[in-house]
Amino acid sequence: MKDILYYFERDMLRWIRGRISVISALIMPAAWLIFVGLALPTTFSEHYIDFITPGILVLTMLGASLQGGSLLIFDKILGFLNKFLALPSSRESILLGKILFITTRGLIQATVILVLAWALGASLLSPAGILLSYGILALFGILLSAFSTTIALYLSDHDSYAAFNAMVSMPLFFTSSALMPYSVMPSWLAPIAYWNPVSFAIDAIRSLQEGVLAWTRIGGLAVLAALVVAFCVQKFRKVTV
Amino acid sequence: MTIIETSGLTKYYGDLCAVDHLDLSVGNEIFGLLGPNGSGKTTTVLMLTTLLEPTGGSARICGYDTREEAREVRRQISYVPQEMAVDIKLTGRENVAFFAKLYGIPRRDEAVDRVLSMMDLSERADDLVRTYSGGMRRRLELAQALVHEPKVLFLDEPTIGLDVAARRKIWEHIRTLKSRGMTIFVTTHYMDEADHSCDRVAILDRGRVIAVDSPSALRARVGNDIISARVRGQIGDTFPEGITHLGERDNGEIVFSTDHGSEKVPVLFHWLEKRGVSVQSISVREPTLDDVFLSLVTQREEGHGFDDHKFRTMLRRR
Repeated sequence: MKDILYYFERDMLRWIRGRISVISALIMPAAWLIFVGLALPTTFSEHYIDFITPGILVLTMLGASLQGGSLLIFDKILGFLNKFLALPSSRESILLGKILFITTRGLIQATVILVLAWALGASLLSPAGILLSYGILALFGILLSAFSTTIALYLSDHDSYAAFNAMVSMPLFFTSSALMPYSVMPSWLAPIAYWNPVSFAIDAIRSLQEGVLAWTRIGGLAVLAALVVAFCVQKFRKVTV
Repeated sequence: MTIIETSGLTKYYGDLCAVDHLDLSVGNEIFGLLGPNGSGKTTTVLMLTTLLEPTGGSARICGYDTREEAREVRRQISYVPQEMAVDIKLTGRENVAFFAKLYGIPRRDEAVDRVLSMMDLSERADDLVRTYSGGMRRRLELAQALVHEPKVLFLDEPTIGLDVAARRKIWEHIRTLKSRGMTIFVTTHYMDEADHSCDRVAILDRGRVIAVDSPSALRARVGNDIISARVRGQIGDTFPEGITHLGERDNGEIVFSTDHGSEKVPVLFHWLEKRGVSVQSISVREPTLDDVFLSLVTQREEGHGFDDHKFRTMLRRR
């Protein structure tokens, strides 16, 4: 199990020491919050910043997780993966280390959003609510980073990974409940949005704003994350180059 | 004592055979796998290091089967791939410590210091690898590979992309490791380097071993001397007695082998001129492994309908 931490430590050091990537990771979500949260004309909400913040939080995790898959692509192209696979330590710890790092990085970005949203006048959740939000975001990050890292294992270059990323991230975000509530969605979109895992996370956090714990949404996310991680662990155990 | 043993080891990519029934037996030695790019060297190493599943046959490292006992094999070996994969944003020491942690080595700091100094990297150990030269990065990779004291070290093209001095240094280190009892399995397409440092070499051509022996024994197979010539015109296919035509090198040199080089040069010269072939230059030298390769490949190519281009294109896709 310690191996997971060693892989995590390596990615963390590399990230922190590449200053520009840290700055970009923090500015990107802030830009979303300001331009979408404050600039979009809306009619269904008095306080759109409260409505959009959970959406931007989950969007940030989504972006961080999908972008995180490129870490494995580079490890693969540059020859690191082959060295790791030839080690006696268990191969799934490569995957679990990536999940841990990508999710942690996403949560750091989410913290920036939370602070900024508060500064922009969003109402603050209770301490328990904040903690639960982090839990929900972490589950979502685990689900998506396991998925993206495993896809990366089967793609051979960065271009195809970027194509995969673009193909997945935009539709997932725009067919979710991030930007508008179900009540104002076109009727064809509402059921799609409801079953989109991105909405699971967003709805769960929005319920927290009303002091409600949305167990079915959180449970759905947890079951999905467990299934995907179990599947991806199997894939990593059996991988050949 | 047999350290690496393969029997009938075979790898197909689709219907293309990259490694064809490889039978090797490697003892405690520096063993070189030689051949041009695309001859199946890397594929072989990937199978031996448990990274690639063979299509057929089997391989054992220190008695452990690469398929059935992969984890145990990985405990015995270290693998340094062709690509120079070291983290440039980490220091040399951090790079090695990372591997030491993954190997779960007791008394980690001592082990890291030991391999860093073994590879002459102690002074620069705390600098970021970004500032290292190519040769230093390769030595750092060796340090990573050595930190758990493996019994067998697999090196895939360890000197590729390095300057002459750095290459010499890498080979010196490899020989030192051998003298400490390690078995080294190295691939290279630089025949001269293998000639100097390997105890035995296997020459691989299109996935098949076409010769295994010590470099000197292989050189002896092509005769005492090599005559190489540049000519204009068709040289035909009969030659004076005691002179064997080995083939033409990529650079256009025609290569002959003979037992008495300096005596045969004038004989060959007149023979060629008499047949209307104008000789531009001619010289005698000692045989190299390149000549061995040329002679072995030429023999094989005769009457061989093989789609060379397709084969190499397929292999490069890997």
